[in-house]
This record gives sequence, structure tokens and C-alpha cells, in this order.
Amino acid sequence: MPRIIIDGLEIEVPQGTKVIDAAERLGIMIPRFCYLKSLGAVGACRMCAVTFLQGPFKGVQMSCMIDVQDGMSVSTTHEEAVAFRKQVIEWLMLNHPHDCPVCDEGGQCLLQDETVSGGHGIRRYRGKKRTYRNQYLGVFIAHEMNRCIHCYRCSRFYQEYCGYRDLGVLQMADRVYFGRFEDGQLESPFSGNLVDLCPTGVYTDIPARHKVRSWDLNRSPSLCIHCSLGCNTVANARHRTVWRVEGRFNEALGSEFICDRGRFGFGHTNHPIRPRRAKEGSSFVSLKDAMKSAAEKLRHIHATFGAQAIACLGSARNSLETQTTLRSFCEGLRLPEPHFFVNPHVKKKVCGAVARLDERVAVSLNQVAHADFVLAVGTDPLNEAPMLALAMRQAQRQGASLVVLDPRPSFLPAPHVHMGVAPEALNGVLGGLVRKAMEPGERENTALRSRGFLQSLPGEPFFRAFSDEQEKVDAVLSGLKKSRNPVLVCGTEVVRESTPSLCADLALLLKEVKGRCGLFYVLPGANAFGSALLSGSGESTFLDVIQSMERGFTKALVLVESDPFVHFPHQERLREAMKKLELLVVLDHLPSLPVQTSQVFLPTSTLFEVDSTFISQEGRVQWSRAVHEGGIPMEQWTGGTHPPRVHSTVIPGRDFRACGEILKEMARIVGGKGKVFLPDPWSFLERGPSAPEAPSRGNRPADGKRLIPRESSPELFPLQEGHFTLREETEHAFELLVVEAVFGTEELSAHSPAMEKWEWEPHMWMHEQDAFELGFSQDEVIGMDLDGGTLEVKLKVCPAMARGVLVLPRHHRLQWQKFSDFSMRVPHDCMRKS
Amino acid sequence: MAYADLLPGEMRRKLAQKIAESETAREQAIDVMTILQGHFGYMSDEAMLAASELLAMTPLELEELATFYNFIYRQPVGEHVIHVCDSAICWMHGHESLLDHLLSRLEIRLGETTEDGLFTVLPVCCLGYCDHAPAMLVDRRIHGELTREKIDRILTKLIEESHSLPGRK
Ligand code: SF4
Ligand code: SF4
Ligand code: FES
Repeated sequence: MPRIIIDGLEIEVPQGTKVIDAAERLGIMIPRFCYLKSLGAVGACRMCAVTFLQGPFKGVQMSCMIDVQDGMSVSTTHEEAVAFRKQVIEWLMLNHPHDCPVCDEGGQCLLQDETVSGGHGIRRYRGKKRTYRNQYLGVFIAHEMNRCIHCYRCSRFYQEYCGYRDLGVLQMADRVYFGRFEDGQLESPFSGNLVDLCPTGVYTDIPARHKVRSWDLNRSPSLCIHCSLGCNTVANARHRTVWRVEGRFNEALGSEFICDRGRFGFGHTNHPIRPRRAKEGSSFVSLKDAMKSAAEKLRHIHATFGAQAIACLGSARNSLETQTTLRSFCEGLRLPEPHFFVNPHVKKKVCGAVARLDERVAVSLNQVAHADFVLAVGTDPLNEAPMLALAMRQAQRQGASLVVLDPRPSFLPAPHVHMGVAPEALNGVLGGLVRKAMEPGERENTALRSRGFLQSLPGEPFFRAFSDEQEKVDAVLSGLKKSRNPVLVCGTEVVRESTPSLCADLALLLKEVKGRCGLFYVLPGANAFGSALLSGSGESTFLDVIQSMERGFTKALVLVESDPFVHFPHQERLREAMKKLELLVVLDHLPSLPVQTSQVFLPTSTLFEVDSTFISQEGRVQWSRAVHEGGIPMEQWTGGTHPPRVHSTVIPGRDFRACGEILKEMARIVGGKGKVFLPDPWSFLERGPSAPEAPSRGNRPADGKRLIPRESSPELFPLQEGHFTLREETEHAFELLVVEAVFGTEELSAHSPAMEKWEWEPHMWMHEQDAFELGFSQDEVIGMDLDGGTLEVKLKVCPAMARGVLVLPRHHRLQWQKFSDFSMRVPHDCMRKS
Repeated sequence: MAYADLLPGEMRRKLAQKIAESETAREQAIDVMTILQGHFGYMSDEAMLAASELLAMTPLELEELATFYNFIYRQPVGEHVIHVCDSAICWMHGHESLLDHLLSRLEIRLGETTEDGLFTVLPVCCLGYCDHAPAMLVDRRIHGELTREKIDRILTKLIEESHSLPGRK
């Protein structure tokens, strides 16, 4: 590794490190505008000039453009470099409007910092400033072009890094303009990053615009909990309001970028309709009384009907603290195991995935971005885990081929091969592809057991659907053959129960052959991983709970930050079953349906109000810190006027507690003296699978810590019956896939006012040919008469998706829950135009 | 193809063919815009959208080119477009006073069009005619070694020609 001396300090850095980054490691921040590690270097702004004293380069050079080499000695304070930078910042400031007092970037502005550090204070230029007309860029981002210093970060990020094509560089010379062809919503769901990466205030965040100054904000390291990736963020709050969320770098995730769902989806925490007051029946009570009453009611049921009459449902939006507490709550009171999944199939898939993920194959998001072949199975990266789509794009930009096997239309913003494979054929197509891609030599070299597995993989029948797409298949095969560092990405929502473990098997097989292969699961929900760990080994599912409610055995249901109506396919049945309950206790911070019907409602804190732990889909345990105490946002409290001048020791609307703490308190009351629990995620992690490396309260690595076993199952390839079956072609029914969309489907962000403005109409996708055969066409409203009533949705047709499926994004305004079971079949003859 | 469908059929066919014959559609972007501009006089928003449909590029991507390249006009221009060379060698050879002369004769400022719609004057970075500086381009014809007299002659000729056209006084 080369060594370099910077300002008299020596440092050794990995080959390929830029001088500007080497300096940063020494704590020397060389001024810069265009350079951003995640975007790479272009040398456009000339702000990072330093003087090279010794080595292969001499004199003033751009430190972002030169890799560290042995023998280099650099001065960042040499008078020539200092004079050069002073000039650069002076001319970059020529046209700047000097509107810092009204600029939202102020106080957090690289241009302010570099102007000061460059030593430019007195304006000499007396000419007219050039000005621009701003554009409307949609609901998230405001545009103020006069502040631009032409570093090109935005257009490079938008087009090159993300692959969107509606924002770029216009004009020439001193009129260069960054914007769109015309006013309109930015199309990229990653547009919010422009706010973070623009070194000045051209792009500012609309929800926080003109509301706060950066120096007034409480800031804390936080997490995004709007999908399973767990991107790292910074939360910003003031006056009991969370105003803004920014991206935060994490080595394992590979960038500081986040998607717009993660950035603008926090509104539930401030929402005026967030249930903040504890309730007993329809009357408001104090949290303390409500906890007592809930506990007593539970104790009563416990005493009268036994522990088995009480069921608890957590969810993937619970923090690990909540989940572990819920589990020990149930253990301590000898209640049945808590449930964390409404859908038994999803439970099986997620538990299957979590059980199979181990250190031999698990890869981080950053490793996906460095793979040379990414095969995504049964997942729609852009909609299920948006930043995964960007990681795949980065892999592609470095030469990787991307393949998506998924029934849905594909929106991946990168060149890729998409095969519209129906869920039941995914195993077969995937297995067949891997089998075909194995060179005969490789087949011989695999261990005996793997060879048996390889032989058992299916061949031709699964390719029949792709007979006229032979080119695609060939491209996939040759990519897979050539690849030396492939990654399998596997979804857990639309796939069959066996797919996650088949992917694990195939990843192990490919690893055996190629020496390397990664496995990356996409899970449904921020803490789906924790849900699986805490679900226990029992076979019982939430469906059993419903049946038991219907039969009158289960008398009490405790909903712990979970809303079964979101995922249960039969709204009416669930409603009826819940009516039979004697007791419904709801702990939540979302205004869910059950909150209204609960006997006791206990308000809980959000991520922003309590330190929380989440486990991402990679098994990475990550931490977020509370950014504020919470309470009714000042703006709502005062109606937008001056904060109250009378002081009080109570925070209005702050009578809630962390979910775990409420459970703990209730357990104390129910269990009586001497039965206090120790519900602590740390003790859970400490006795977890990789105990020795487990983080503890005193040891929390900044990038989180992956906690999965070295080897998961002793059985290498437990291939099961029914792994590979094809549906009868004679069946005249569609399979309905209820899926995620970037915006509008995820539970928490559905309550974000900023997000609600990104309006789209609920719709459903169908293959062009299927639509043609049924006589339907684009944009028609289709009515479906189902067991639980009629579902009407607008149709979109697509030539590039699986046949025989309907793809329905789970729009939060759409009531799709009209099915009698989770298989959700829609017979052709119950569909009509309406 | 909402906008491309509005083009004259023959032209649309030719453009489509031209694009189909090239390796990537993108490489035809300037040519397509030049042809459309030849027909419409300038690239209106509608023409941009038509081009974007034909080339399968986004309007923004085309706008990036159109607004960078001097010879695509995104606003209506006069009958004759004069591109005055605006680079170092011409500056050394009296560019400024000649430009002043040209503009005061036409009673417009740089970038404007005369009231009668006859002339638009635009600056252009180097025309590559430095050995005959100062230079300007009139309707894509190069004129070098410019003097006030030479400019007057060129203008007079164009004005007379246009007056002799039927329907013009
Ligand atoms: S808008 Fe911001 S990011 Fe884009 S070029 Fe200007 S200063 Fe740079
Ligand atoms: S990709 Fe997922 S975790 Fe990351 S910012 Fe978006 S929603 Fe949040
Ligand atoms: S940061 Fe090096 S030239 Fe811009």
C-alpha cells in the first residue's frame, strides 16, 4: 500500500485512494465541490488544488484527480495552492445571490464553508449577476438555480448514478443550467439526494423549507424503517416536529444515499391524526391508567379462560426491543408464542430465508454493487427495496450483467434482462438456468452431494414459455457462465415457500463451483429479520389465531404495533372474528383501524422518540438514537403562531411510551410481584447465534454488525418434493400478487403528507395477451366479484410480465382484502369491465 | 407518438428511416433536429417532443444538446441568421466595433431579431476562420476579413433580395 506525506503527516492508504481522501483520513479536509466519493472524480471545479512537493507530480494539482503513489509529498497550505483556491472560490461566487439569510442550506452549506476556508471575503466584481428562472420540480424539492456553482454533482448523480433521464445540464458557457425540459415532478425516486449532495442551496427539501434553520435542529443518527434494507439516516427535529431526514454513510451499504420513501416517509410521527392519547373504550385516560386497565383485563381473561385465550401479534415494524419484550412478555405469562406475521406463507418464507442466511454466502448491499452478475429472483428491487435497484445499477455500470426473474413488469433503472416468470415457475426456471450454465467440467468437479442436487434440477419444460426469447436465455446463460462473483437476490413476497431456500442451495452450489457467490434476501419490512428470529419454532400461524377467535377460544388479542387488516386477505372475516373477542388491546402510533375498535388503546413512541434496534435483511443489527422527546408538534399546538410564552413541565401530547416499556409495565401488573421481566434485546443478542461477536450495550459498531451464523444448515442441499411443479395450464384463473410500490403502499410512509402529494391512482397490471384474450384494454376499470365483495381497479397492460398473474400494488387507499384465503385466485369468469 | 404523428408523412418516414439505418438512434439527434428546424424554422417545444419520440430520447436529453449547440434555435429566428464569431482572434481584429456597427444598422441588440423579421444576430464561439478574421456566418455562408463596408454590402443585398420577393414591399 502506497504511503504519502500530507502537510508533514505520513499515511499509508489502499492502492487507488485519491489524495483528497488520504488527507481526509488524516483529518485534513481539502476544499471540494465536484468530488464526492460515491460519484467518483471529474476534476470540474478546481477547488481541491494542493501543491505537490515531491513525487511524480509537481506543483499545483487537483487532489481529487490523483491517486496516492509512493514518494509523494503534498502541501495543502502551500501559498501557491492557497492563492489558487482563493481565486477559484472568488469566481465561483461571482454570480451567487448571497441570499444565505433566507436559504435553507445556510449553516449546512459547503459553499459557505469553502468560501470561508478559501479566504474569500471581499467582493471585487462589480458586474451584473447572471440570473435564472427556477423550475417546479415536484412535491419534494424546491429549485433555486441562482445559487448554483456548476459542480455537476446533481446531473452526474441523477443520470449516471441513478439512470433517470429527466434532469440534466442545459445551455452553455455562463448560462449553464441544471434542470428539466419543462416544469414537472422529478421522475427519479432518489431525487431527494440532490438536497444532500448539492454543495449549495439549489435543491432544498420542501417539507422543511423555510421552517427551520439547521443550527436550531436536534440531529441524531437514525435509520430508515420503510423497507428491509435499513439505510442509515440523520433525523432532524425541532419544536416537537421531525422536519427532515438525510442520508448517512454506511460502509456496508456502500453509500450515503437513500430513496425518497426513506427521506420523505417520516410524516406519521408528526401527523395530526396520530393517536397520542390512551383510551379506554371511547374515553381518554392517562397512559398509566390505561396500562393498568389493560393489564387487569388481561389478568381477568388469563384467570377465567387460561393463558391460551390470549394472542399477541407484533409486526416487522417493531423495533427489536419491542419484539424481544413481546416474546418475554408471552413467555413470562405463559401465553402462546407471539406472532409477527399475518400471512403464514410470508412467515414461512421469511423464516426460511433467515434460517438459511449464513456467513458463507451473505453479502452486503455494497457487495451487490461490486458483483459481476446479479440474478434477482422474485423481487422487484425498485419497488420493494429501492436502494437495491441503485446498487444493482452500480454493479452494471462496472460491467456486471443484471437479470431479473420476476412476474411483475420491471422498472429497474439499468440495462438488464427481465424474464416475466410466474411465481410457480420461478424455481424451475432458476434451477434450470443454473444447471444449464454449469460447464460439464464444473459439474464433475462439484462434490458428490452437490452433483446429485445439480442433477435433480429441472431442464426444458420451464423454458417453454421463453422459446421465442432464446436470445434472452442465451444472454443470461453466458453471463452466468462467465461470472466469477455472482450474487443471487431473492424476494420473499411473491415467491413460493421453497424459493428462498432453493436460492440458498444454489448460492452454495455456485460458490462451490466459482469460489464465490453471494446471497441477498429482500424481506417484507424493516425488522422482518427480527420477526423471524423471534417467531419461535412453533408451527402455529396467525391464521390459527383467527380460527380460534372465530371458535371463541381466543378471547383477547394484543396488537403490538401491528395492523392485521393491512395483510389479511379477507377484511370482512377478520372484522367478524374480532367482534367475537372480549378484549382487544392495541399498542401503536399509527391511526390504524383496530385503534378505533380497541377496548384499551396504548399510544407508543415512534422511531424518532426512543433509541431503537433493527435487524436489516442482511442480518445486520443497527441502531438509531432518539432525536427528540416528541409530543404534539409546536405548529399544531399553537396553530402556527409563536410558541407559548407560558412554561409548563409537561409536554403536550407526550403521554406515550416505548412499546417495550409498556409491555414490561403490563407484565409487571399482570404477573404480580416478583415476576418482573428482563426484556432486553442485548440479552437476546448475547444468547443469539453468533454470541461471541454479538454487539452489546457497550459495543455498537457505527456500521452495525451482521449477526448470522457461520454455517446455517448442516444439510447441504435439502431438496424437497414439490420444489419444481408447473401449474395446470387449463386453470382459468389468475393469481393475484399484491405487491409493493416505491410510494403509497408501505404502512408508515402511507401516513406521510409529503408522500401523499405524490399521487398515483391505484391500478393493476396484466399481461397484454391475457388482457387481449379477455377483451380488456389499457385504462379500463375492471370489476372482480370475489368472495368478500367486488374489487374494482384500473387496468394497465404490459407485454413484458408473466402470463396468468395480476399484479396489484398495495395502494393504501385500495381495499383489496376480499379474498377467502391467502392463495388469492381470481377466476376469469368473475372479471368484467365496469 | 402524439407529436411525431403531427409531422408531414413524408418527412416522418424519412426521419424514421434515417434513424433506423444508424447504429444508435442517439447519433442522429443533431441531424434530426436540423431537419425539423429546416422545415419549421426553429425548434419549437412541439418539434422537440416530436424529435424525442422519433429518437427514443427524453426531451431533456435533446434539450441538453439543443441548448448547447449554437445552430439549433429554440426560439423563432429571422429569415437570415447571422452568427458573429466571438473568439480571441476576431476580438484582436476589431470584432467589437464591427459588431456594434452591425447591430446599430439593424437596430437590435445581440441575440435579437429585427422588427421586420429579416435578421437575427447571434454570437458563436470560434468559426475556425481565424486566418480571415474577423468573420461571420450568414445563413451558413462564411464571410471573412469583414469591414463595415463589407457588412453593409451583405446586408443591402439580402434586404434587396427580400424586397423583390412577391408579396413584400
Ligand atoms: S445545482 Fe448544485 S449540484 Fe447541481 S451543479 Fe449546481 S451547485 Fe452543483
Ligand atoms: S431503500 Fe429502503 S431502507 Fe433505504 S431509504 Fe429506501 S425505503 Fe429506506
Ligand atoms: S473537487 Fe477536485 S476539481 Fe472539484
